[in-house]
Amino acid sequence: MTLLVAEGLTIVIGGRQIVHGIDFFIEAGRSLALVGASGSGKSQTCLAPFGLSAATVTGSFLFDDVELVGAGEEKLRHIRGRDIGFVFQQPLTALTPHLTIGAQLREAWTQAGAQRPSRAEMAAALDRVGLDRPGERLDQYPHRLSGGQRQRALIAMAIAHKPRLLVADEPTTALDAVLRTEIMALLRRLTVEQGMAMLLVSHELATVAHHADDVAVLHDGRIVESGPARQILGAPKSDYARALIAASPRLDGPAPILGPAGAPLIEARDVAVSFARPGWRSGRLEAVAGVDLDIAEGEAVAIVGGSGSGKSTLARAIARLGPIDSGEVRWRGAPLPSRKSMRPHNRAGLQPVFQDPVASLDPLWRVRDIVAEPLRQLRPDLVDAAVAARVEKMLAEVGLDPALANRRPSGLSGGQAQRVAIARALSPDPALLLLDEATSALDVLVAGTILDLLGELQRRRGLSILMITHDLAVARRLCHRIVVMDAGMIVEEGPTERLIETPRHEVTRRLVEASR
Amino acid sequence: MFDLIRRRLLTALPTLAAVIILSFILMRVAPGGPFDGERPLDPQTREALMSAYGLDKPLHEQITLYITNLLRGDFGPSLVYRDFTVTDLIARGLPVSLTLGGLALLLALILGLGAGLTTAARAGSRIDHGIMLGATLLTALPSFVVGPLLALLFGLWTGWLPVSGWGDGDARHMILPVIALALPAAGAIAKLARAGLAEVLGQDHIRMARARGMRWSRILIVHALRPALIPVASYLGPAAAGMLTGAVVIETVFALPGLGRYFVQGALNRDYPLVLGVVTLYAGLIILFNLLADLAYGWLDPRARL
Amino acid sequence: MLVLAAIAFTALLGPLAIDWRYDAIDWNAVHAAPFSPGHLLGTDSVGRDLLARTLVGTRVTLGVAAAAALVALVVGVAWGAVAGWCGGRIDEAMMRIVDALYALPFMFVVILLMVVFGRSILLVFIGIGLVEWLTMARVVRGQMLALRERPFVTAAEAAGAPPVTIILRHMLPNLAGVAIAYLLLTIPQVVMIESFLSFLGLGVQEPMTSLGILIKDGADDMDMAPHALLLPGVVMVTLLLCLTRLGEKLRDRFTL
Repeated sequence: MTLLVAEGLTIVIGGRQIVHGIDFFIEAGRSLALVGASGSGKSQTCLAPFGLSAATVTGSFLFDDVELVGAGEEKLRHIRGRDIGFVFQQPLTALTPHLTIGAQLREAWTQAGAQRPSRAEMAAALDRVGLDRPGERLDQYPHRLSGGQRQRALIAMAIAHKPRLLVADEPTTALDAVLRTEIMALLRRLTVEQGMAMLLVSHELATVAHHADDVAVLHDGRIVESGPARQILGAPKSDYARALIAASPRLDGPAPILGPAGAPLIEARDVAVSFARPGWRSGRLEAVAGVDLDIAEGEAVAIVGGSGSGKSTLARAIARLGPIDSGEVRWRGAPLPSRKSMRPHNRAGLQPVFQDPVASLDPLWRVRDIVAEPLRQLRPDLVDAAVAARVEKMLAEVGLDPALANRRPSGLSGGQAQRVAIARALSPDPALLLLDEATSALDVLVAGTILDLLGELQRRRGLSILMITHDLAVARRLCHRIVVMDAGMIVEEGPTERLIETPRHEVTRRLVEASR
Repeated sequence: MFDLIRRRLLTALPTLAAVIILSFILMRVAPGGPFDGERPLDPQTREALMSAYGLDKPLHEQITLYITNLLRGDFGPSLVYRDFTVTDLIARGLPVSLTLGGLALLLALILGLGAGLTTAARAGSRIDHGIMLGATLLTALPSFVVGPLLALLFGLWTGWLPVSGWGDGDARHMILPVIALALPAAGAIAKLARAGLAEVLGQDHIRMARARGMRWSRILIVHALRPALIPVASYLGPAAAGMLTGAVVIETVFALPGLGRYFVQGALNRDYPLVLGVVTLYAGLIILFNLLADLAYGWLDPRARL
Repeated sequence: MLVLAAIAFTALLGPLAIDWRYDAIDWNAVHAAPFSPGHLLGTDSVGRDLLARTLVGTRVTLGVAAAAALVALVVGVAWGAVAGWCGGRIDEAMMRIVDALYALPFMFVVILLMVVFGRSILLVFIGIGLVEWLTMARVVRGQMLALRERPFVTAAEAAGAPPVTIILRHMLPNLAGVAIAYLLLTIPQVVMIESFLSFLGLGVQEPMTSLGILIKDGADDMDMAPHALLLPGVVMVTLLLCLTRLGEKLRDRFTL
């Protein structure tokens, strides 16, 4: 039986048409993944027909033979409440902060008119989505739960009323690689157990294809290719799908060519960082517990770990851009001064690129001044003309049109903004680039091109790279060596290929598994 | 919770002491004194008066003495109302002021939250724009305009309600002053509640609740209202302060025997102990309201709980 | 915005265009009705031209308000910026002070000051400015804390910019929008306080005038001559409405 049929579905939002008459269907109990870059209209496709966005929908959208296009809010509300469960991207904010998990689960349970569940029933529901200590969780407020735990709770709520269709809009995008795999597997298991159909929306073709029956690839509001997941992943017909697959870093792709490594550049010994516990509770949280890390000239090293593993804190402590409790960092054999006493010549060798490309550029500055900032501070010997010439050269080197130099960050796309950030980092000719999740906020295709650019820069300039990421496959694409962190400690490190082929530690094995 | 109260009290007490000492010093260093009346007193009488009221002692001794007495509930004698102690005057004025302020705060909350909910539920409609314009107008109108205006409309012209005096707590005497005092605060609360709701309604958890197919009214009350009240709670302290200053005006306009009147009289007549007493009391009240606001936070947002 | 500019402009230049000075008494026309010859909007109970008085009053009120708001701006931004930048213990201590001051019945301290040191416009706006900086300091601190977490600030540190440069070139410019918004929102507060003081007879002194005094005078005999309340009332309410609207718009646009 066909549960959902979309025909000529067209969506207009704010006067702009973003979905241009697409067709797809879902059989009862099967799952379809809509895959596309941001702006392809995939999220609107799964929200607008159900009345969850301000967009105007035309065409046809039949759910269980009921036409939803043109249906009133009251009717849509009933259908949503009775037959459909929703899971969204942001688990951190999707729970009402002032109601306990139990209260919200009870509300979801009874939304279609079911009997009030007993505590035992609710605890069992939480247990089924893999939430530990379910009985305790019922009385907790959302802020006590981590992102992964909240997403599990939200999934429990989404399926509590036994819907026939589960709509999951980027359910794992905000989670780290290991959690991603776990949550996808959970969703897959639940749909099979409950005989639910699933409409899954994601920008990651490779990940999603393992967990859905069918895939439809969306590009600029049109479906460019659709069919069984295995077929699309194995033998994509359209160029766009091929490009998407090629861009997603995988562990079994061809090994990248890396430049040679030389003498030690950074030697960090016994680095420890702790934070005061949030709120007024006493005590400190140990984020990094006595870690050693070496990086050689021309070597690219990745620190890989889940969220909260301390990888970012460690990198910032070494780069003197974050707090540090104790430990020594040597730069080309000489000790690096503390954060407050860093002089321009100390700073020049080590430049960072951050995750959120737009937030890492001052919104009021022009691209030209942003790229020139490190030069003005770190290279006072350069005259204005020399600075200008260098800015132009840097922009060309990262593949940006020099005409962008007069724009402000708000006028740049995510990929362009990240290139500006890279140009700024490279402008003082650093020996080491710190990449803090530098590609994880970007679309797959854009992230792919940025990774290519970084690899090329690494080879050409003999740059050292310290890369922070939660994704082994991304690390493999750029790095000689991988360091795996968990709970503030290094649990395993080794050459990239060895570590991926024969992981020794449990955490590494899980990370490898997650990137397959 | 108790920890929070204790912590707040720890900062409140020094604040209170600072208010007292600051006001005390200000009054003493000011030129002119309570006995500088129309005709100059002869030096001997003056000296006798000064020593009788302890004004000839060194400043720090006066302060210590004052605070010690305060702890026993003794605000000292009034210098102008010679037959009364300040404690007497406060005992007379406080009930009037508290009734007035309390009722006005309640009314302001009811009106403001009602208006906030109504407008947020119909965001963008004419009702929304109308009510919000009204609310902005109310916050822009001084209470000494609203007061006489109300008096004129409902008192003098229509004769429905009494416009002056307390009538020994007769409810009808209270209606106009309470409304006049409540309206500006109601406007401010309406605006805060409306803005708070608008922000909360744009958040993910509201979309989640909508996806669950819940009725709009239920979403508004169960999922949106509590977080939206946080700005209203933080306004509680300033609102209380506003009520107290507003009361000074309203009590004058409607000729009510409240604390505000005593304060103005006291300030104009340089009746030190009276002014000091009222200021101390007001500071205490404001601190109390800020504490209540802090406690309200905890209820509104579990993340703020310790 | 236009209305605001028009009011400010008229208040500045208007008095030049009118035959009557704000304190001149026309004995022939006490309590004149609006549109009587020579007095477009009539006179008050002692025969002073209302239009002239309103214009001058607006000027005084706006002047006091602007000056007080500026005091609040300078003190508030400096305090908030230092607290927000330093963070930790210093921030904690500085914000405790603000909290403590918030708990003061400041209106009364200002009144005390007025009573004690006599009335002067200077004192009025210094006093008011000292009350109003608290909100500004809180807002600026909050913005500073939010800005400090922004990666572009870390990037500037990595680029070798010393703290002073980071504050001056990155943080303060990004704060300016919010600060200006709150500056505009402070002005209505100041106008209200000024009028409140005037009501108590503690504002500027006769024969000088201000909107607050005019409204109080008008309110006193509003059953006799409602027009005397109407003009200053309308000016004041329009002024406050415009400032509030503009300030709120700016605030919503710039708050992080």
